[in-house]
Amino acid sequence: MKTYDTIIIGAGHNGLVAAAYLAKKGKKVLVLERRDMVGGQVVTESFGENFKVDSLHAGGTLRPDIIKHLNLASHGLVVDTVRKPFISLQADSKHLVFDADPAKAAESIKRFSEKDAANWIPFLDFMNKVSRFVHSANAAIMPRLPKGFNASEGMALAKLGINVRMLGGKNMMRIIRGIPMTADEFVDEWFESDIVKAAVASLGLHGFTLGAFGAGTGYTLMHNWANRGGMSHVSVQGGIGKISEALAGAVRLLGGEIRTNAEVKKVVIKDMRASGVVLSNGEEISSGNVISAADPKHTFLSLVGAMELPPEFVWNVQSIKMRGSVAKVHLLTDGKHGIPDGTVVVAPSIKYLEKAYDAAKYHQISEKPYLEVTTSGNVVSIHFQFAAYKLKSGDWKTEGAKVEKIAMDTLAEYFPDLKPSIVNRKVLTPLDLETTYGLTEGDLNHGQLMLDQFMFMRPIPGWSNHRTPIDNLYLCGSGVHGGGGVSGASGRNVVKVLK
Amino acid sequence: MTTNNYDAIIIGGGHNGLVAAAYLARAGKKVVVLERRDMVGGATITEEIIPGFKFTEFSYVVSLLRPEIIRDLKLPQHGLKILPLPSTFTPMDNGDYIAGWDDHDTTRREIYRHSPKDAEAYDEYGRRMARLAKAIKPILSILPPDPTSLHPKDLMGLLKLGQFASSLTEKELYGLAKIMTQSAADMLEEWFETPALLGTKSASGIIGTFLGPRSPSTAYVLLHHYMGEIDGAFRAWGFAKGGTGGIAEAIASSARAFGSEIRLNATVKQVIVKGGRAVGVALENGDEIYAKAVLSSADPFVTFLKLVEAKHLPDDLIHSIQKFRTRGSSGKVNIALSELPRFTALPDQNVLHRGAVSISPSIDYIERAYDDAKYGRFAKEPYIDMIFPSMIDPDMAPPGKHVMSCFVQYAPYDIEGGWDDAKREAFGESVISTTERYAPNIRRPTLGKQVITPADIENITGITGGNIFHGELLLHQLFFMRPATQWAGFRTPINGYYLAGSGAHPGGGIMGSPGKFAAELALKDGI
Amino acid sequence: MQQLRNTPFHERTSALCQPQNWRKWAGYYVVGSYEHTIDREYWAIRNSAALIDVTPLMKYMIKGKDAANLLDRVTTRNIHKMSVGQVYYTAWCDDEGKMIDDGTVARLDETTFRLTSAEPNLRWLMMNAVGFDVHISEVSDSVASLSLQGPNSRSVLKRVCESDVEGLKYFRLMKNKLGGVEVTISRTGYTGDLGYEIWMEAKDALKVWDALMEAGQDYGITPVGILALDMTRVEAGLFMLDVDYTSASHAWIEAQKSSPFELGLDWTVALDKPGYFVGRKALEKEKKEGSSWKMVGIEIDWVGMEALYAEVGLPPQVPGTAVRASMPIMVGNVQVGYASTASWSPLLKKYIALAHLEKPYYELGTDVRMEITVEHHRKHAPAKVVKLPFYEPEWKKK
Ligand SMILES: Cc1cc2nc3c(=O)[nH]c(=O)nc-3n(C[C@H](O)[C@H](O)[C@H](O)COP(=O)(O)OP(=O)(O)OC[C@H]3O[C@@H](n4cnc5c(N)ncnc54)[C@H](O)[C@@H]3O)c2cc1C
Ligand SMILES: Cc1cc2nc3c(=O)[nH]c(=O)nc-3n(C[C@H](O)[C@H](O)[C@H](O)COP(=O)(O)OP(=O)(O)OC[C@H]3O[C@@H](n4cnc5c(N)ncnc54)[C@H](O)[C@@H]3O)c2cc1C
Repeated sequence: MKTYDTIIIGAGHNGLVAAAYLAKKGKKVLVLERRDMVGGQVVTESFGENFKVDSLHAGGTLRPDIIKHLNLASHGLVVDTVRKPFISLQADSKHLVFDADPAKAAESIKRFSEKDAANWIPFLDFMNKVSRFVHSANAAIMPRLPKGFNASEGMALAKLGINVRMLGGKNMMRIIRGIPMTADEFVDEWFESDIVKAAVASLGLHGFTLGAFGAGTGYTLMHNWANRGGMSHVSVQGGIGKISEALAGAVRLLGGEIRTNAEVKKVVIKDMRASGVVLSNGEEISSGNVISAADPKHTFLSLVGAMELPPEFVWNVQSIKMRGSVAKVHLLTDGKHGIPDGTVVVAPSIKYLEKAYDAAKYHQISEKPYLEVTTSGNVVSIHFQFAAYKLKSGDWKTEGAKVEKIAMDTLAEYFPDLKPSIVNRKVLTPLDLETTYGLTEGDLNHGQLMLDQFMFMRPIPGWSNHRTPIDNLYLCGSGVHGGGGVSGASGRNVVKVLK
Repeated sequence: MTTNNYDAIIIGGGHNGLVAAAYLARAGKKVVVLERRDMVGGATITEEIIPGFKFTEFSYVVSLLRPEIIRDLKLPQHGLKILPLPSTFTPMDNGDYIAGWDDHDTTRREIYRHSPKDAEAYDEYGRRMARLAKAIKPILSILPPDPTSLHPKDLMGLLKLGQFASSLTEKELYGLAKIMTQSAADMLEEWFETPALLGTKSASGIIGTFLGPRSPSTAYVLLHHYMGEIDGAFRAWGFAKGGTGGIAEAIASSARAFGSEIRLNATVKQVIVKGGRAVGVALENGDEIYAKAVLSSADPFVTFLKLVEAKHLPDDLIHSIQKFRTRGSSGKVNIALSELPRFTALPDQNVLHRGAVSISPSIDYIERAYDDAKYGRFAKEPYIDMIFPSMIDPDMAPPGKHVMSCFVQYAPYDIEGGWDDAKREAFGESVISTTERYAPNIRRPTLGKQVITPADIENITGITGGNIFHGELLLHQLFFMRPATQWAGFRTPINGYYLAGSGAHPGGGIMGSPGKFAAELALKDGI
Repeated sequence: MQQLRNTPFHERTSALCQPQNWRKWAGYYVVGSYEHTIDREYWAIRNSAALIDVTPLMKYMIKGKDAANLLDRVTTRNIHKMSVGQVYYTAWCDDEGKMIDDGTVARLDETTFRLTSAEPNLRWLMMNAVGFDVHISEVSDSVASLSLQGPNSRSVLKRVCESDVEGLKYFRLMKNKLGGVEVTISRTGYTGDLGYEIWMEAKDALKVWDALMEAGQDYGITPVGILALDMTRVEAGLFMLDVDYTSASHAWIEAQKSSPFELGLDWTVALDKPGYFVGRKALEKEKKEGSSWKMVGIEIDWVGMEALYAEVGLPPQVPGTAVRASMPIMVGNVQVGYASTASWSPLLKKYIALAHLEKPYYELGTDVRMEITVEHHRKHAPAKVVKLPFYEPEWKKK
């Protein structure tokens, strides 16, 4: 039996980042992935002839320092430099277009409010500072409060403090105040037009089961803005899956091993210490450390088992809010769909967004959903919110068709040519996110990024520093601080904690 | 007419204004309270709207009033008595009920009837909340520092805050962080499973907010309601003799006894500012009164945007106050009764009428009531917190008759189309018809009622938006952000001008702390 | 309105309770004492046979494939070593190794256990049962229990039970038939004397009571309230939750919590059992580093106490029941601990107390002084740390 320094469970981008950094340090690492491909949610897949799509995550990039450290360009990663526009659809077809060029965007905003147009550039300036704040916060490992800072955690936190102060007193307060705000309140500080407000506020809801009137969507707005580097997605040449492939390439080149179709069933624990894993096929592999890049609920309740963990800890893990409410609808068209290039949203008003969320609150599928649409040639990809993972009535085995229909009907109101152009379709329900992509309750972020589940509360109070009650077992997926979205931060951070 | 010889003017004779006046007078200062209405009390009043029936018109129960204020101002000598409110009774849709009584074992038995698990969770939960309330209490008496400032006073404040934080255990610290940010529903669902228990508990998290129990950060409001103290006992809500107007009367009487003047029907139009200093006020009737300092217990919107000219204030502050959320969401329905309503769930007993009755059958019930309000309608089936003041203090109604006080959520201030008489009537009817489902005789004994919408609250008490706390208890409107960052310390950019009402730290409710803090600061500043 | 409960023995106990001395215990009313003075009840425990209604104990049934695994995780003892028919006394802790409660675990069959406790523990058990194949149910109300204690208790049972209890060993249990009713009898108790506890369905309660009272007539059987019980448990060196220690889940501050080592329960902490159990890491650490407190017995020096009273011209006075109050314990002028329960022992003719002392004062033989109030003035009576229990008759375990 071969033994490794570290086994990493899950080849999502965070698991791969952790593996690459460890391999770079000369460690013997093995990444185990249950699917037949690497990447987790950052994958490009084919659902039929000419029907190749970024299945889930629509676009984005890793932190630039990670791309550099791991030399990902040499593994074929090319991130687009041109940022496409962000377009909020209007019934009269006079869409609100946030062009990457601020002046052009302001021009479009002017149609809705002069004042808002004038505020656009100051707002962008503020959001740049916000992004700096979010990135430095994500680069810090959140220590255990109030005791138990170790030197490197203390340093990272001090750096964060300094970075925040460097934004200036006023900006700092504005950001701090913005965190617990609702997306509605956050945008209301800057804009008066409901249309402008809703377009910007939609970022605060994207991927989360929260409404525009939910406290903390101020923060998620900042988070998504920072991860995207703006409002629209940037795309990766050849599909977002290239990120994962490049990472896998780096891992292998640095001597790491990656095995797909290798589902971990159990973490082997002896005397409250992890010493390896058992695969679904019964194979046992031992290692010095185990890092789980799967979500914390799955990690602790299935892979470790509640019996091995303290009762309060188990209770806290059970209480982690995993509330998937995102579905994806991919349409293969003949090319005449009529949808413009860019990130296109159906988010006409704040109350529209809120109502869409109400459906998730009551465990339903929104009849008037908030949609974010991207196109790639003939393919139209629709991000659908809200569709609750736990349905009050009906079953995800059959309700997928309903999501598909609502998505197409909603879009067809703006693009009458869309429906006739459709050649093939693929819907991914919240249940598919769980069964196919391994996300407990279909939660993309491995746990909602709510105020009580972020920073030093992520994944649960007292365990924000990647460690777990089991010695030698660590976490590095999106469920820990730094995670949520594609940046690689939590995969990078765990390496600093490892003994 | 001009008067010139006061040390301090207090704008507004609400309970905070009166507390401020009493403390200043007690320190030997010459003070005058200027109140626009013909009575003191603000949102803390009792009125005989229907002859013989005393309505505790707005606020109706008390728990947060600081014990040191009661002692310092000798309020018991001025008639203050806080009587116990021993139970909470929640009728359920299946004809049963769930209740909390004042005896721990009895309550446990009662909850056990519905869920053994909840009965135990109830104990543990109660202890955790009490511990958290105890842990956070010191914050209520720390003057909020300005974290962006490098001024020694603020650094000291931050240091104190740091010392406070490090005095907490890990569990307390995380507990606080969690409770500040969670939704009441998420927090409670970690503990309980009985819908009516969840509904009733979650209701404390939404009182006075424009949020539903599923909105993040409502758990804090829940804790805010745990923080009251009656005679040193945590968690006890009581009823003041004579209604909450009895509290205002007692404080007014104490203030007068210390030598303060109180003028009614005296609406302040503007604060007179000279050389960056508040030197007096001009009244609506043209009178001018001068003093060394002016303390406003009106809400922040009135205090900063109506009473002083914009040129005296920095743009930032004006912007923040304009964005300060004060959306009213609650109403009141006060009813004169010829007999007590009989709740079908427990028809033969009067014991429940000595406590509160809560119409809160589930979290979703309240959440849906909120949904109505967020889209501009009053709730068709509202959350109601009712008490029967005449069952606690028999002097509130003629012998054999009763008064009933219903606190109702949600009713949005910004109702679609604006409030009018027809909507007020319909809103009152929603309360009656909702109650009728659980107490079918409610209509028969009704002798008359008073329906108060958020617009009425604004009209009568002058509180902008009719928000019961002078500004919602939102995370970004608390502590060093209440009412605005950098101006959370009761002082204002205008020297000698102080905010002394519920819009300041630590916030709303009959507490008296803002009035006391502001008075103490004014004294420290040497007025 | 929901009322507090009467136990299923109420019909009998209420008829006998002369002084209307009722106590609240876990949501039930139980008899404090049946007579105006408790002497006769005390001596029944120590000299004949006492019948005590202990129904308010919390009782849980734990059934299923993982029942033993769950209890092994929750409690400090090695449950896997337990045989069917055996009873363990055990503590259970939070993950910081601080005691939540204590009680008995009885193994009724391979996969069925009954747990008793002072406080409700259902929630704690459920929290711990995640991932286990077990069914936990609370049977506090449906199972009635009587404690039959005293040197004659065996003779009473021999007369009334269908199967002989002669062979029933200390901390073992057996199924039996008593007064025509199915019961379980365990050789356990809270008095430190020979004694048994009898478990039955609530509906059979009166039949069992009547049968025992009748059979016990010739052996001096006496209904006994919880005040006399309280005195004997002090003599037996047995502590009580909420009196002698605070449950970790009730404590306001760290200092109020106790570990099993601090309460002298070293023998119940099976650090040699494999795998995780709740509190393991903390308990291992405490075992290694030693405890800073310990609960011990102290004996107040009668002559010394007499002298303190003599100073003001009084004969010494001792309370008639166990005193549940915190009494400071000094060495020199420094407080080194406190007594949590003190009692006059009518049998030993000694004033004794359960005391919590700091290291190193908890060593056997240490001279300390306990605070007493002599004619409104605080005095310190000389006392000595002694071995627990204060009283253990040779027939207790035989
Ligand atoms: C439709 C969609 C849109 C999104 N949009 C945004 C956005 O705009 N902004 C944003 O911030 N985020 C967004 N996200 C979220 C973001 O994509 C994720 O947070 C991120 O990709 C998670 O990366 P990860 O490496 O932490 O975990 P994952 O990518 O989830 O990887 C975990 C891996 O572990 C594997 N695994 C699980 N269990 C086992 C096991 N037992 N054995 C072996 N392998 C196992 C899984 O198969 C998976 O490959 C979006 C996600 C989706 C689905
Ligand atoms: C319907 C309702 C129910 C409530 N229920 C409870 C409860 O049960 N328990 C509880 O603790 N709290 C309750 N509250 C909240 C509590 O009543 C308030 O937070 C508190 O009374 C506010 O006190 P204050 O002194 O700060 O302000 P206010 O009571 O609002 O007093 C301000 C005073 O200033 C006067 N004023 C304003 N402008 C001027 C001016 N220009 N010139 C002169 N005077 C002016 C006003 O007339 C008023 O008298 C309730 C509030 C409402 C509205």
